[in-house]
Amino acid sequence: MNLLTPLTAPLALIIFGAGTVAGALGVALGLGGGIFLVPFLTLVLGFPLKSAAAISLATVIATSSAVTAQRAGNQLINLRVGMVLEAATTVGSLLGGITAQLVAESVLRRLFGVVAIAVAAVVLGRVNKRNVILDPTVDPGRLGGRFYEEESHGIVSYRVKRLPLALFASFIAGNVSSLLGIGGGIIKVPVLNAWCGMPLRAAAATSALMIGVTATGGAIIYYGRGDLQPLLAAPAVLGVQVGSWAGARLTYGASVKWLKVLMAAILVIVAVLMFLRSNA
Amino acid sequence: MNRDRSGMQRLETTIGEVLRFGTITSSTMFAIGLVMTIVGYQPAVAQLLLATGLVILLATPPARVVVSVIEYVRERDWTFVLLTGIVLLALAGSVVAAYF
Repeated sequence: MNLLTPLTAPLALIIFGAGTVAGALGVALGLGGGIFLVPFLTLVLGFPLKSAAAISLATVIATSSAVTAQRAGNQLINLRVGMVLEAATTVGSLLGGITAQLVAESVLRRLFGVVAIAVAAVVLGRVNKRNVILDPTVDPGRLGGRFYEEESHGIVSYRVKRLPLALFASFIAGNVSSLLGIGGGIIKVPVLNAWCGMPLRAAAATSALMIGVTATGGAIIYYGRGDLQPLLAAPAVLGVQVGSWAGARLTYGASVKWLKVLMAAILVIVAVLMFLRSNA
Repeated sequence: MNRDRSGMQRLETTIGEVLRFGTITSSTMFAIGLVMTIVGYQPAVAQLLLATGLVILLATPPARVVVSVIEYVRERDWTFVLLTGIVLLALAGSVVAAYF
């Protein structure tokens, strides 16, 4: 894509539609929409991966800001943990953004393929998982948290363990975010939940806060290098916002088991296509 | 601890306001700019709206970090001043990598 790409009304509508679907799927599966939006822009519309990643990062920022603004004040977001880990994600996203400018398109495509497989595995692993209810009397300590959980009508209290591991996962997530245009929550949330003691909802809300500033680190570099065009980013951002809004209403309380299996299968196909087309 | 908690509450509320303002402003500019582009009305103004919307979108998370730094300085919580300072430095690094 060069700066002179004309935005036709059909192209704008296609990007808007893709954003809407990606946003809705993201909400339904507890992922960001980037993992679906980037392959669509690259494999279907033929955008270079860097351009697709840049557009996707803009949608990640918008989603993060919108979701966090809505949740602020309900104590699900752990601001302290978020700000500790952001120091690692933003340094990672700076490095990833610089690396993206240096490596070939084919390398980025293969990397996307690998990450898509990993995401598929995480999605499948979550099929039957439920949030763990923890002892409400635990002292949260300096980094822990406490929030009211609607399903169990109880206070959930937790401590944060293995901080170095969380920092490392955040650093990797920041790199991957900038390189591939995804939020990186798919890397942080499972680690925070499975090994660092954070309940899934608190981990997801805290990750949603972090991905905004993380994606900004990468997006600034793409913007300065001419890969992030407002004309293409705008319909994607609006689409993802509409999609997330609709997805939250459509899937509330619904069983998304079949959807998870279907999407995992689609991610595997995406991975295969990314590998096949990495030599083109 | 009590003072600490009320500070956190205040920070969370302020962050929410910053993010809400950024989201609404940039999305509104995007929507108007896109419609104008598609119908071909005032292309120069439409481009300006889209470009400004994108800059506001990109500036929103850093603005939230700046607000946090200010709050932590007020609370004299130097650990968190340092951590949020690292975030700002990394973002400044992105600006440098983007243009130099």
